[in-house]
Amino acid sequence: MRLLVVEDDSAILDFLKRGLSESGYQVDTARDGKSAQALAADAVYDGFIIDLGLPDMDGLDLISRCRAQGHKAPVLILSARRSVDERVRGLEQGGDDYLTKPFALAELVARLRNLLRRGATPQQEAVRLHVADLELDLIRREARRGGQLLQLTTQEFALLEYLVRNTGRVVTRTMILDEVWHMHIDPATNVVEVQIYRLRKKVDEDGKRPLIHTIRGVGYVLRET
Amino acid sequence: MFSGKRNALRTSAAWRIAAWPTVAFAVGVALALSIMYFFVARDIRARSDAWLSGEAETLADVSAKTPRDNLYGRLVEEVAELATHEVSNTSLPGQQQNSVFFLQIQPNEEPIWVGPAPKERFIQAIQSAQLAPGTPGNVRFEGFDLPFRVVYHARDSGGGIYLGFADLSGAKMLDRLTELCLLVWAITVFLGFLITWLAAYGTLSRVERISDTVSRIGSEDLSSRLPEGPHPDEISRLSKTFNKMLDRIQSSVHQLRVLTDSVAHDLKSPVTSIRGALEVALAQTDRAQLQERVAEAIEGLDRLSDMLNTTLDLAEADGGALPLQKEPIELAGLIQPLVDLYQPAMDERGHRVTTQLRPIVVDADPSLMNRLIVNLLDNEVAHLPAGCEINILLQARGQHAEIVVQDNGPGFPPELLSRAFERFVKGEHSSGHGLGLAFVQAVVTAHGGGVRLSNQPRGGAVITLSMPMVAVPVEEPRPGLETPGVGLR
Repeated sequence: MRLLVVEDDSAILDFLKRGLSESGYQVDTARDGKSAQALAADAVYDGFIIDLGLPDMDGLDLISRCRAQGHKAPVLILSARRSVDERVRGLEQGGDDYLTKPFALAELVARLRNLLRRGATPQQEAVRLHVADLELDLIRREARRGGQLLQLTTQEFALLEYLVRNTGRVVTRTMILDEVWHMHIDPATNVVEVQIYRLRKKVDEDGKRPLIHTIRGVGYVLRET
Repeated sequence: MFSGKRNALRTSAAWRIAAWPTVAFAVGVALALSIMYFFVARDIRARSDAWLSGEAETLADVSAKTPRDNLYGRLVEEVAELATHEVSNTSLPGQQQNSVFFLQIQPNEEPIWVGPAPKERFIQAIQSAQLAPGTPGNVRFEGFDLPFRVVYHARDSGGGIYLGFADLSGAKMLDRLTELCLLVWAITVFLGFLITWLAAYGTLSRVERISDTVSRIGSEDLSSRLPEGPHPDEISRLSKTFNKMLDRIQSSVHQLRVLTDSVAHDLKSPVTSIRGALEVALAQTDRAQLQERVAEAIEGLDRLSDMLNTTLDLAEADGGALPLQKEPIELAGLIQPLVDLYQPAMDERGHRVTTQLRPIVVDADPSLMNRLIVNLLDNEVAHLPAGCEINILLQARGQHAEIVVQDNGPGFPPELLSRAFERFVKGEHSSGHGLGLAFVQAVVTAHGGGVRLSNQPRGGAVITLSMPMVAVPVEEPRPGLETPGVGLR
């Protein structure tokens, strides 16, 4: 998968390049709109990450021009501005997702993965999900650990389903609020932590091998080890 | 400086302001003078006509009654001569033209002529003039600038007498009157223009002074104010408005300074702790310890960016720049899911949350309303000691939707009650950044509502938000309260 990252801040560009390369992407970088256009004219990209505040042009213009050149690959917008208005405008003008700075690399990678998957052929919608001895029945909305039914609330089940669907990948608090609660909010208190804590008490009961892990400072991951 | 003054004079709007009244004034005065002139001229003519008719009648009488003998011609001539001399000052100086004539035409006799020579020219012109008997008419003669008023009197014995009179003194008087009128007109128009111009310029120079002062204030300091003047007229009001605006600008600038100071101050401690954590991490050899320190640093950074975001939101809200994407929202459907989200966190702390939410629709920005409720809930979580009861009410009060959050905790410290909405004001033991309630107030105010803080008599804090309701009746309860209008995706 080949990506074009357009960002004028060299520190951010460096860490994006490093982070995305580690996640297995091939990354081209540009520091202004002009060179980005030149790169986009010669190559085919599977995805774009574009900062809105470029030195020579508005990121939104760059997106429009790339679209005009025939690029259909998804665009993830980065912006320091976080007004709703800005976000709506970005999504209207050809962006596919919007991330405000500062962001967690894990979240960027997760969103990018979602975008890239969108273009691919849809997977067969699973009815059951398995991780180790954890089993989710998506139709009955039931979860079992080692064959034993877990008493989960609706919210807890939705949270567990989200973690299981992202097995092995780190998810952030923001992503959980976004995807599970469909709320674009930023609580100052540890609401998500408590939700995870309660879920963990039920899923990883005493003596069982823990599945839900906390990655401090970043988020959570569900994995076997 | 002087050329600037002259330039200001040249470009003053006073010229334009004075021009139109002056035109109107000039036309008006000209009209009035013309009417006066017309009446004077008519009066003069009427007087000369009356004299003419009277004399003609007398002369006709004389000519009819005088016996027709050899002396008849001489006698009539004498009388006519006398009559023509009655008009004093009948010739213009230097112009030796007699301006009165008498003519009697009788069948088969020589016409009797008293007046300027040569008489043939006059007689011919008079006869071709075809005058109606008794009514004076104008007849022009070669060599005379002025037309003669001529009256014709028919005689019973055939023929008739003509008396003509060129009113030189009247004409002279009218000439003088014309000159005078023009002079008066010119002077009044000039004076009128001058007065209007001076009045306009005087008023406008007050505006000019305001503009001078304002430009000086803009570039130098914000503390000076415009003089407001003794009369409460438009310009005083303009000054007053400017002064009010300056007050507001000055207070916002002051606020901004305070804000910047507190942001800087509040940034320093987290930055210090983050720096500390990273320094410790740098010296760590134990991997687990190192990760712990780095994670600490990241958490510190998250709190920092959280504070920055709220500060920015607040700045936007206060600047009136908060873009409101209003839509009708069913508030209960917005509050309940958020309360559900917070429920576990509340349970953890031993709080009991009850809600009494009536279906009420308000016109509001859903994303801001979400953050507002989150702020209120965060506030409860952050400030209550363990094991409290929190009650969230949503009810209609008049045309307003009222959201009441009350608890049985210690309540607001009294010294905080009046200042809780100010930024970075927080309780002594609060772990928040002191922006939460300021944000709540900013959002509610932007929606045209208000926030009240109080303490219950039995103890416990009450936060009451009041927001204008939409005038439409409450919609049918929607099946399954979906989280309304949160996602932008």
